[in-house]
Amino acid sequence: MNDSVLVLSIVSAIVAGTPILFAALGEILTERSGVMNLGVEGMMLIGGVTGFWAGVQTGNLWVALLAGGLAGVVFSAVHALLAISLRVNQIVSGLALVIVGNGLSSYWGTIGDAPLIQSFNGVQVDPILPEALRGLPAVGPILFGHDPVVYLSWLIVAGAGYFLYRTNAGLSLRAVGEDPAAADAAGLSVTGIRYLFTLVGGFGAGVGGAYLALAVLGTWQAGMTAGAGWIAVALVILAGWRPWLALLASYVFGALRTLGFTLQIAGVEVPSDFLSMIPFVVTFLVVVIVSANPERARRVGAPASLGEPYSREAR
Amino acid sequence: MTLRVSVEPRARPALAVRVGVPIASLAAAALVGAAIIVVSGNSPLEAYRTVLDSSLNGVRPITRTLVLATPLILTGLAAAVAFRMRVWNIGAEGQLYMGAIAASGLALWLPADTPKVLMLAAMIVGGSVLGALWAGVAALPKAYFNTNEVITTLMLNFVALYFMNYLIFGTVSFWRDPGRNYPQGKLIPDSAELPIIHHRLHYGLVIALIAAVVLWWVLRGTTWGFELRTIGDSPSASRYAGMSVSGKILSVLALSGALAGVAGAIEISGTLKALDPRAVATELGFTGIVVAAVARLNPLGVVPVAVLLGAVAASGAKLQTIGIDAEIVFLLQGLIFLFVASGEFFLSNRLVVSSTSAAMSQTPATEAAHE
Repeated sequence: MNDSVLVLSIVSAIVAGTPILFAALGEILTERSGVMNLGVEGMMLIGGVTGFWAGVQTGNLWVALLAGGLAGVVFSAVHALLAISLRVNQIVSGLALVIVGNGLSSYWGTIGDAPLIQSFNGVQVDPILPEALRGLPAVGPILFGHDPVVYLSWLIVAGAGYFLYRTNAGLSLRAVGEDPAAADAAGLSVTGIRYLFTLVGGFGAGVGGAYLALAVLGTWQAGMTAGAGWIAVALVILAGWRPWLALLASYVFGALRTLGFTLQIAGVEVPSDFLSMIPFVVTFLVVVIVSANPERARRVGAPASLGEPYSREAR
Repeated sequence: MTLRVSVEPRARPALAVRVGVPIASLAAAALVGAAIIVVSGNSPLEAYRTVLDSSLNGVRPITRTLVLATPLILTGLAAAVAFRMRVWNIGAEGQLYMGAIAASGLALWLPADTPKVLMLAAMIVGGSVLGALWAGVAALPKAYFNTNEVITTLMLNFVALYFMNYLIFGTVSFWRDPGRNYPQGKLIPDSAELPIIHHRLHYGLVIALIAAVVLWWVLRGTTWGFELRTIGDSPSASRYAGMSVSGKILSVLALSGALAGVAGAIEISGTLKALDPRAVATELGFTGIVVAAVARLNPLGVVPVAVLLGAVAASGAKLQTIGIDAEIVFLLQGLIFLFVASGEFFLSNRLVVSSTSAAMSQTPATEAAHE
């Protein structure tokens, strides 16, 4: 039964959803501070190429993921500088990250004597739990058959939820996103907290990109995210800025992205271009449906100051 | 005594600032680009000489630059008009694909002996209508539910891309040439080709220039344009003044999509001569956003900026021959975008450097100067 279409497709959905989950968790924390970073696609690409390069160089998965995350941090620092300090329109700044990230990662992939586009994945991404657990029917592959990064992402989801709702620091973060002027008056550093969580978001996107290149695709291709970063941005809205809902939504989108593979083993013939379209059509529809009901749109809880720069003088 | 840097708003930047800041931004982008080229083991001087040589040195290079600038003028206008009202249409890319699909479809469907004027008019109108409708798919929820248009227009790009791919690679559609083994679009008839100005430069450039002038006039000289700018500056005040914001969202996105659709139609008619998804999907829509931002959303400013980015794009193939990958083109365009966006800050603010002791004694004076 562990070879059944259903089990295999759930497993592949989890693997395909994990990069989106990392990126979406990071973006949730960034947006909770009131900063919108639309550059997730660019940060995932630069994290992907850096992580893949580090993987080829060192052969160590964790070093590679860290390298990818740090590349995302560097990119998000650019956004932080532009959006928070220079008060550049956050949409413009985020788009700039996407275009630079796409250009730089594509360029990096082609340079040198052994370009990354011709390299093989240097790291091993294997399951960690004992064979006995993995062999259990259904739950074995679905719950116990994953690599350590998937389990790490589950820990981070739990940690992020705890942090946001059960700690003082999480309360400070939400306060800055909801009402920066009040948070400022209460003695919180609005700029400092926004910088910090913009960088945290960049780390998440970078790790997501690195995991996508190393574990999901296993190769580096220019533009390998193919919209995954944008889906992560949309997913933050769909998840109502809540980490555990992001987990669920990521796996649903993972399932949609691997639907072609699933249908193929099930013997159903659908043109691949239409299959590739599905995640984007579904995202479009869900974003519209969520916004169509004002009551629900209010309840899902966008941070009140999302996208607005804060300046003490302009209060 | 320490130095203190403070930020002061600028009321209206002097001419020197308005010219100087964009030039400094371009120079900064070129410098960072140079640094990246050095790190990747190539010579930036050689690279930039090649860019200039292959884009501006001689009639052939200039025509090549202008051919590439033509769609960028139109997608730049598409972004500029929407962004001016703070409607973030990121979907010019997909709207352009739809324009290309409509224009090539009409060119193949109408009799080949249709008079050229009618044929071209049909293609351009058809391209603009489908582009506008595709933008409308995102405009309706934006206008009535206030749905985030950044997400919706972006998702529609991917839908349009896969649809266009399907027409050529996924099936033997009306657009595909059944006589060839390799999936390829059918060639449009001669009557559907834009006339040539010189070498490969076609009259699409003239259409784009007319569009820029008309849009400039519409924004400055008409009530519609005035309302658009007012809503962009203050949506709530415009509502109180009795302007229909929803209606304006629909018309602005339709116009924006139509401009992108015309870009797609002109690409088919003037350059590609067949629906070739790989040649249509070259980020013309995204680059249009860069064009609009660098031009500070001014329709007339879009023209020189599109020529500049067209020049960068025109050098891609030549750069390849000196060992620099053509991907550098997107990197340079992105850097220009990034630095020009940062430059906006220095147009509306200035940095004042002072020592702490002096700053303290000057505080009342600075405040007085503000009032």
